Amino acid sequence: MNDNIEELKELARLIRIDIVTMIYKAGDGHPAPALSVADLITALYFNIMRIDPQKPNWEERDRFILSKGHACPALYAALARKGYFPHSDLTGLRSLESHLQGHPDMNKTPGVDATAGSLGNGVSIGLGMILASRLLGKDFFTYVITGDGEIEEGVVWEAAMSAKKYKANKLIVFVDNNGFQSSGPIEKVSGLYPILPKWQAFGWHCQEIDGHNFAEIIQAANNAKANIEQPSLILAHTVKGQGVPFMIGDNSWHKRVPTKEQFKQAMIALGGEYNE
Amino acid sequence: MNKIGNTRIAFTQSLMEIAEYDPKTVLVCADSVLVVKGNPYIDKYPDRFFDFGIAEQNAVNCAAGMAACGLIPFVATYAGFITMRACEQVRTFVAYPGLNVKFVGANGGISAGEREGVTHQFFEDIGIMRTIPGITVVVPADPSQVSQATKAIHKVYGPAYLRIGSGRDPIVDIDIPFELGKVRVLKENGYDVALFTNGFVINRTLKAADVLKQEGINAIVIDVHTLKPLDKEAITKILQRTEAAVTVEDHNIIGGLGSAITELSAEELPTPIIRIGLKDTYPRSGKPDPLLDYYEIGVADIIKAAKKVMQKREQRHQK
Repeated sequence: MNDNIEELKELARLIRIDIVTMIYKAGDGHPAPALSVADLITALYFNIMRIDPQKPNWEERDRFILSKGHACPALYAALARKGYFPHSDLTGLRSLESHLQGHPDMNKTPGVDATAGSLGNGVSIGLGMILASRLLGKDFFTYVITGDGEIEEGVVWEAAMSAKKYKANKLIVFVDNNGFQSSGPIEKVSGLYPILPKWQAFGWHCQEIDGHNFAEIIQAANNAKANIEQPSLILAHTVKGQGVPFMIGDNSWHKRVPTKEQFKQAMIALGGEYNE
Repeated sequence: MNKIGNTRIAFTQSLMEIAEYDPKTVLVCADSVLVVKGNPYIDKYPDRFFDFGIAEQNAVNCAAGMAACGLIPFVATYAGFITMRACEQVRTFVAYPGLNVKFVGANGGISAGEREGVTHQFFEDIGIMRTIPGITVVVPADPSQVSQATKAIHKVYGPAYLRIGSGRDPIVDIDIPFELGKVRVLKENGYDVALFTNGFVINRTLKAADVLKQEGINAIVIDVHTLKPLDKEAITKILQRTEAAVTVEDHNIIGGLGSAITELSAEELPTPIIRIGLKDTYPRSGKPDPLLDYYEIGVADIIKAAKKVMQKREQRHQK
């Protein structure tokens, strides 16, 4: 295993600074859901995935789909820091002249493998990529991050059935289980829980990890890659708003823009810069 | 009596011909392989067939993922399950990224859905697909045209929707080749009135033109098989000459051929037009011919509309 965990922690801190800064400057966006996936995305882009930012369309590259597309500030920050486009592009988030759309767009942003964002669709798009890879003789994995609330969508379970049928072992799905969806806690909004037994019943290889622990994230990905029979589900326990204390436990930060004072507080918590 | 053919078999046979020279072509079904008579294809290309079960949203998304990696999926099932059940997946994950997925919708129209009833009669498919940017929309006339259209949409990169029928589909006895995006003039008796039509009601329109001719009214009958991109130039030229038109389709009068022609006319050349089709209501079960007659998509209805629209033109000229 690559032991760049300290480096990953530092990158994740910088990516969290990017997330909050982007949304603050754009005056729009979803900060807390982006903060909960920041470590997963950092681990994928800076440790797990076989990719080359110089060749964003390389046919043998691993694919990534951010099914919970509203968390895209985390993805955009990772792509910029990986070198897919200039870091200065991040300030354009959601503006008319920017390539950074409110939800990921595979044709506008270099490095984005799939247009995504209307919830529930990433797992099946990922399955299609794996089925194509077999036919085309391309050897790659497809990683998907879905939200937890997102898997209330029926199409997710349609995909879960098909992935089992096709023994799509190179499809690796992380569920970002931060416990909240747009209108409140998962258990109040839906009957989704428990999550893991459902995927087990659908025939997936299942693991459960702390989604903010890089060693666990990387180990789980390696375990998933070693499984040659089943698609993989990694239930990642995360904290919505992780890294910015005043956003944790307050679901209004699902979609909200920090004030100047709140931005300052967030930067202090993350060790970022702010102008008085 | 119309000769009957099978547009479903025509599609699958054409796909097999394409598969012969294009190894990136795959068939995607949603428990619909029997619908499109796909077994000969599966026998020949088992690795290039994917069945996602009764799960159209998943089928369309998987096709999007496949196309994003370079395959050319043909997603084939009932028209409404593609255009309504999986509408968002078609729009957001195929059409918006412009991926090379081809959709083939069976039971297009009330006559092709025939005795199944409203759940399996699809008369909104063209309207839905027309409003989604970036999709080529084709309503071929009969098995021969389906065969040519299947090959034509394969040649052009990007999303496309092809409407097919029940498998008991009237054959149009006029041999004019299919050219994507170009109308076919099926009958040119004259320019007293234009009859724009497509799909499985073409023979009815041709019959109406014959009867009109006996009564001294000379119509031009135009097959507008490609709704997007619309052959605006040819249609406008015909409207300029007739200044009166009837549209005849097996679809709701909202959203399909009637809408396409009247929208064009309103912008380019305001012309009296009467739309023949399902009049924004729900149909019922029944055999195709009596069913179409019941919903006033009959030969007599077309004749009546032609005369009425010509009267409207005369009234306008008199003003």
